[in-house]
Amino acid sequence: MKKHLSAKTKWLIVIAVLLAGLVTVTAAMKTGGWGEQAVQSVLTPFRSAASALVRQVERYYDYIFKYESLQAENEALKAQIVAMEKDVRSADSLQRENERLHQLLGLSADHEDYQFASAYIISWVDSNWKSAFTIGKGTSSGIHEGLVAVTEYGQVVGLVTEAGTNWATITTVLDSALGISATVASTGYNGVVEGALATGSEGLLRMNYLPTDSVLRNNDQVLTTGSTVYPRGLIIGYITDANFDQTGVAKYALLRPAADLDDLEQVFIITEFNHS
Amino acid sequence: MLKYIHLTKLQWLGILKWSLYGLLTLAVLLLQTVLLSQLPVLGAKLAPLPALIVCVCVREGPEKGGVYAIAAALFWCLSGADFGNLSVAVIPIGAMLSAVLCRAVLTLRFLPTALCCLAVCLVNDSAIFVFKLILPPTVALDNYWRVLLPGVALSMAFVPVHYALVKLISRIGVRDAL
Repeated sequence: MKKHLSAKTKWLIVIAVLLAGLVTVTAAMKTGGWGEQAVQSVLTPFRSAASALVRQVERYYDYIFKYESLQAENEALKAQIVAMEKDVRSADSLQRENERLHQLLGLSADHEDYQFASAYIISWVDSNWKSAFTIGKGTSSGIHEGLVAVTEYGQVVGLVTEAGTNWATITTVLDSALGISATVASTGYNGVVEGALATGSEGLLRMNYLPTDSVLRNNDQVLTTGSTVYPRGLIIGYITDANFDQTGVAKYALLRPAADLDDLEQVFIITEFNHS
Repeated sequence: MLKYIHLTKLQWLGILKWSLYGLLTLAVLLLQTVLLSQLPVLGAKLAPLPALIVCVCVREGPEKGGVYAIAAALFWCLSGADFGNLSVAVIPIGAMLSAVLCRAVLTLRFLPTALCCLAVCLVNDSAIFVFKLILPPTVALDNYWRVLLPGVALSMAFVPVHYALVKLISRIGVRDAL
């Protein structure tokens, strides 16, 4: 077969190897982003159009095939609203009392300092070993690396890890590359939450470095502790299981992510928040 | 302005052919990153693009096809592919070797092309998996047969469509060349 490889083919093989090396070096040095910037900027309008088309098709599909189930769900929700309105009336008095206590303690209302930028997801990373997606907004909308993406309910989705003029890549909490300083809301135990993608607990998060004597209950809320990157009090997930780690010294907990990443269409990037 | 560009009919047809290959590549990339990446099958995300690159390279030969394979793999890498730098080398080299192998030993028919696609995709995904396994370990070993192998196998479902479209596009200009 060697005699069938022409000189030009051999040169092309060398060029492919050199290009791979060049891409690796520029990615490692974080200096040669112009190629990626150019390709992503060109691709973004196509991706936006394709994802808009997919969303439209999904809506028609839901309308045709899920109409009856939606109607039943609507009836159930109406009944639930009636029951909840009753609860709200009784909760109102408690809320007023709570507000007074907040004022008494000098606490400000939650999240008033947040500035948001909303963006639609236009594509997902096609790898089985990475959980990340691209949004159709970038530095021109004030989005840059190191900002946190959340849902409309304040649930952590991920972190902006790359940004161009009209696009940004968000690595989700499921990816093992992210580590978030977190606390168990009910007990105050601190730990680090990492993604468990492709490590045997797919779709779950792992909260490491919990104290050996910590008592953890299922469905306990886990929140961000607060840092220069992550604002305090954002919901990361709910505890589903706990055990001792390999060393037997510390405990770890498995969490169900609070944000439903499978059905995510739009995310909100916290562009500004009060670090204090 | 076009009247000042002196190209023969064959050259125009060549431009048309490679533009169509480019559009097909873009369409498959969008399908892969916008739709298929959200719809895992048996827990695996399907990737039809590497197979398309191999199909084009086998059909067009290791030289012209090789240039296309390098350009397409680089474009995929820069569009944000995970471990795309590895694919920039593995996919074009695999595609060029496939083209040489098909011309020298096998034929340009469907089955040899499909086998080459399978081999290149398997080598590419396995190489990425090995890196993920050791630098630092972010995947469990059982994912190889639980996710990777089904993913590669299911991605081969696109090969007949790729093969048919590539065969159709490759015919552009053939009659005029004779």
